[in-house]
Amino acid sequence: MKRSMLFVVMSIMAIAVIVLAGCKRRDQGASAKLQVVTTLFPLYDFARTIAGDQAEVTMLLPPGMEPHGFEPKPNDIIRISQAGLFIYTNRYMEPWAETILKGIDRQRLKVVDAGQGVRYVKASAEEGLEDGHGSHDAEGNAGGMDPHIWLDFANAGVMVNNILAGFVASDPAHAPMYRANATTLLARLADLDQRYREGLSSCGTRIFLHGGHYTFGYLARRYGLEYHSLSGISSESEPSAARMAAMVREIRSSGVRYLFAEELLSPRLTETLANEAGVSVLKLYGAHNLGKDDFERGVGFIDLMERNLKNLQKGLACRSK
Amino acid sequence: MNLIEILSYSFIQRALLAGILIAVLCSVLGVFLVLRRLSLIGDGLAHVTFGSTAIALAFKLYSAASLLVSLPVVLLASLGILKLTEKARLSGDAAIGIVSAVGISAGIMLASVGGGYNVDLLSYLFGNILSISPEEVLVAAGLFCVVMVLLGLFFNDLLAITFNEELARVSGVRTKRINAVLVMLTALSVVLAMKLVGIMLISSLLILPAVSALQLARSFKTCIMLAALQGVCSVITGIFVSFLTNLPTSATIVFINLLFFGVSCAVRRLLIPRSAIPSR
Repeated sequence: MKRSMLFVVMSIMAIAVIVLAGCKRRDQGASAKLQVVTTLFPLYDFARTIAGDQAEVTMLLPPGMEPHGFEPKPNDIIRISQAGLFIYTNRYMEPWAETILKGIDRQRLKVVDAGQGVRYVKASAEEGLEDGHGSHDAEGNAGGMDPHIWLDFANAGVMVNNILAGFVASDPAHAPMYRANATTLLARLADLDQRYREGLSSCGTRIFLHGGHYTFGYLARRYGLEYHSLSGISSESEPSAARMAAMVREIRSSGVRYLFAEELLSPRLTETLANEAGVSVLKLYGAHNLGKDDFERGVGFIDLMERNLKNLQKGLACRSK
Repeated sequence: MNLIEILSYSFIQRALLAGILIAVLCSVLGVFLVLRRLSLIGDGLAHVTFGSTAIALAFKLYSAASLLVSLPVVLLASLGILKLTEKARLSGDAAIGIVSAVGISAGIMLASVGGGYNVDLLSYLFGNILSISPEEVLVAAGLFCVVMVLLGLFFNDLLAITFNEELARVSGVRTKRINAVLVMLTALSVVLAMKLVGIMLISSLLILPAVSALQLARSFKTCIMLAALQGVCSVITGIFVSFLTNLPTSATIVFINLLFFGVSCAVRRLLIPRSAIPSR
């Protein structure tokens, strides 16, 4: 009796395994298109634009999540192992990307380090502050290099070219279309850069204060803004009471009317600072990721940067042309 | 920088005010919890709050509105911990461990199944003692009053079950109800105070002042007083030390509590003769 039960159970399991294996195979057969897995939102958006309808691009990070807290699901690993192209930003931003790749057969998978060839800049939250102790630099990851390279649109262009090279190498048959899409995207980025340059050329103040973690260094450097953030690059660090007070004094003495906060993150600390100094809060997208609603609406990187430009112009009292 | 200047910042005033209220609250609750071997209940319920916040965000309830989901869920979880210790005869740490693991897994699972949110979950979960709003000071004050009044009302019964639950039951104390009151007050405090000052501070204020006071106190009431005193002193010195040394405030307060604990142990060994310490 017991034996026969065991036999039945075993057969059911065997059948299930065969059926499931069959499904998997059919799955692979159907999607002859190039499968592309990206980590963060800018890469996803660039890759999606370059791909057109010739490749399927997915983003690993669930919408809304801060990249630090990401943990891959079994399906993510399967998706990467079946993909032809894996694109990540750099080892400062997604240290977990290299960990995931360790366990995956790299023979068929082409890996693109989108940040290759970009000039990285050190992040320093407290530069130029009267009583900045400067110790925060050391606690950022990997020597305090700022990983938010896409916020300099020239770097974004470098990233687009790196991604394009990955596409061309993985799927040479569609190379002309990928090149054409990338050219259009590069033109749009150049146009965005131009609009930022003009939009931020004559402003009431050039002091750009951010009540959060160091994020917008590249953007500020490109357009000649003086950027200071409440805390350093590491998203785990917390500001001290002294740092909070120093920031309040800086807001007051600089005479700015707006303090910036980052979208998706809780604005608690920023609001406390703003209330203390009597200024208002405006939000900017760091664009590592975007909210679920925006994601479903298909909002793109350039859209987010246009929203940023509007808020920057308002916050820095710029005259629009 | 002088004292007056530090105190001129309103966020420091609010940190001191709310911090002191929460410190007293946690330290006093902590004495009961540590003696009932439920020291880690703060951490455990924080993990459940993480899970329940994931549910709240899925329904697009942010910050204050997320309490509509968090409060009932965490109150139920605290009763669950109690039930596990009573019905399944588990020790407090095992029961807290189960509820805590389930809470955090539920959060991670919901975050993945839901396909993401419009905001970053973790950043909305924890407050920071430096970013307390004026309304939140009122929340802290209300919480303080509720917990203190209820602890006062049930004080004798709580005392009885803390030292000998069997004896208390025999002498007519409704032990189950009193236990439920204790864990539910803890749950209420953890959920609300975590949004204000963050879980690290809550968890340490539930344990360290209590264990330090237990080193020195000879009566239960002295113990509660000493614990509350340490909690308050640690918050005040922590805020000022953080100001002067440029260190993160909550972490500084935890280390000052550790220092107090070390001093209490030393004092106990040096000054109090062994025979005078009640055996626990």
